[in-house]
Amino acid sequence: MDTFLQQLANGLTIGSMFALVALGYTMVYGVMRLINFAHGDMVAASAFVGLTIYTQVMGQATSLVAVIVIFLLTALVMAVVGIILERLAYRPLREAPRLSAVVSALGASLVIQNGIMLIWGPRMRIFPELVPQIYWDFDGVVISMIQVIILVLSLFLMVALYLFVEKTRIGAAIRASSIDQDAARLMGINVNSVIALIFIIGSSLGAVGGLFIGLYYRGITFNMGWQYGLYAFIAAILGGIGNIPGAMLGGMLLGLFNAFIAGYVSSTWADAFTFILLILILIVRPTGILGERVAEKV
Amino acid sequence: MKELQKFAYPIFFVVMAILPHLLDDRWQAVAITFLIFAVVALSQDIILGKSGMFNMGQALFFGMGAYTTAILNNEYGWSIIATIPLAIIIPALFGILLAGPIVHLRGDYLLVVTIGFNIVFVQVLQNNLGGITGGPNGIFGLDSLRFLNFDLTSQISVYYFAFVVLLLTLWVMHNLAGSKPGRALHYLREDQLAAESIGINTRVYKIFAFGLGAGIAGLAGTVYATQYSAVSPEAFEFIQSVLFFSIVLVGGSSVPGVLIGVFVMFVLPEIFREFATWRYFIFGFAMIAAMILRPRGIWPATFGKIPKFLIKENNHGA
Repeated sequence: MDTFLQQLANGLTIGSMFALVALGYTMVYGVMRLINFAHGDMVAASAFVGLTIYTQVMGQATSLVAVIVIFLLTALVMAVVGIILERLAYRPLREAPRLSAVVSALGASLVIQNGIMLIWGPRMRIFPELVPQIYWDFDGVVISMIQVIILVLSLFLMVALYLFVEKTRIGAAIRASSIDQDAARLMGINVNSVIALIFIIGSSLGAVGGLFIGLYYRGITFNMGWQYGLYAFIAAILGGIGNIPGAMLGGMLLGLFNAFIAGYVSSTWADAFTFILLILILIVRPTGILGERVAEKV
Repeated sequence: MKELQKFAYPIFFVVMAILPHLLDDRWQAVAITFLIFAVVALSQDIILGKSGMFNMGQALFFGMGAYTTAILNNEYGWSIIATIPLAIIIPALFGILLAGPIVHLRGDYLLVVTIGFNIVFVQVLQNNLGGITGGPNGIFGLDSLRFLNFDLTSQISVYYFAFVVLLLTLWVMHNLAGSKPGRALHYLREDQLAAESIGINTRVYKIFAFGLGAGIAGLAGTVYATQYSAVSPEAFEFIQSVLFFSIVLVGGSSVPGVLIGVFVMFVLPEIFREFATWRYFIFGFAMIAAMILRPRGIWPATFGKIPKFLIKENNHGA
């Protein structure tokens, strides 16, 4: 029972990080039908940006205000990088065959990954201890303050995003653009602004995810983006890509599944089991758990 | 274009035939890997370019061929040449078995599932399932190439082995282009619904494309195992599949396109090896630029070959 509860807590923590990153994939896919392979590297970059802001800008302060400023500044920087990425690598390819944009995304991923390496070096860096190391022990189940913060803040951001997309006028514009860009344009929606907004939201959520990864795992490397990005991407697919609640559900499910595999089977098989789960779900439900059953456009 | 190809092909073959004698050891090794990657990229082109299925797991079949050769040679003492049939058949069978349940998936979902197959495969190799894959270190110390009592140990003979395999692959691709399955694949890539409605069994042909592509990649795996007389899991990681995927798209879905793609994506980074830290940074920009300037690849596919008797003079522009 202890193992179960412990892995439940760990799984929810990892799952909420996956979900935050998965939202970036799913929102971009929803509007542009593009797998943004650079998103994982954006997440990795944000951990490094956060590290630099902590040491250079904030003078290594760890007060609550300082931590909030670090999060906001990192999200801001990554939002700007996201807009640049879209302008440079994706906008020129909007009318091109879909796979060309995928290759462009792979190229962008290489640029960001090697950019991190050029700026911060190839060695592993240790992320600062922004949150005090407080642990609570409930009869052998240990939960840290970091875990609680990650879970609560992620849930808050996800609910906020959901309400934003479902209840506001701008959210309606996002939904309209994801259904049919041309029709949305005819209704007076500026699709270019919507896409820019998608990249701002996705990149900032990814930035928060990247900082969480730094806080939780501590060691950050320039090439970690592929690993986390791939998992988050699977989470998005699992829930039904393009679907915002789907990404949250997929992230949580994947986090829990991973934690239980690591707890009960073996972490050396975690990747394989994750993909086998994904393949089985896709065979039964070809468009993910919450994905709509639509035929491919002809 | 036709005239160019008439001259370009013989020149290319002659250059490739004398190339190893002009290179030193290191560049001979690069040239061999160029040939091997060209074969894998062509096999990827059958699935991705010719049939339009988003496959990002081609390294799986490549690795399966290499491991088949390595295990048969190392554990059971078969000669390298004798392992070739199984190194083609086993990946091809797996290609058919794996493709069966997934070819109906929409493009991007298919892409993810093929990534998944690749990752599961590498993890199986690393965890040494069945105790025959050698775990994370792989298998090393394979025999060198022997054929009818000729000892073909030298790097140049491995080069010609790879060259023969490439020629064989080109011959298969050439025949495929004009054959019934080739036309069916072309049609189903252009418009699956239309293809179905004129009676093409798209499911069978999609699985066929996977099987054929997997078999050819497996054969390339044999050559790869021969070149290094070793195999290890990291050579067949998913990132390698990304390379083959990008080669076909950057080069374009045609034989010259794929060869240019391998040159641009593999040989050029080798040439700029001195700029180790900067080369992939710039390379990434080059990939973006290539796609913006040539969205269909550097040398895109021209329309598939249609047999002459099907073309009437008067309905050309219709």
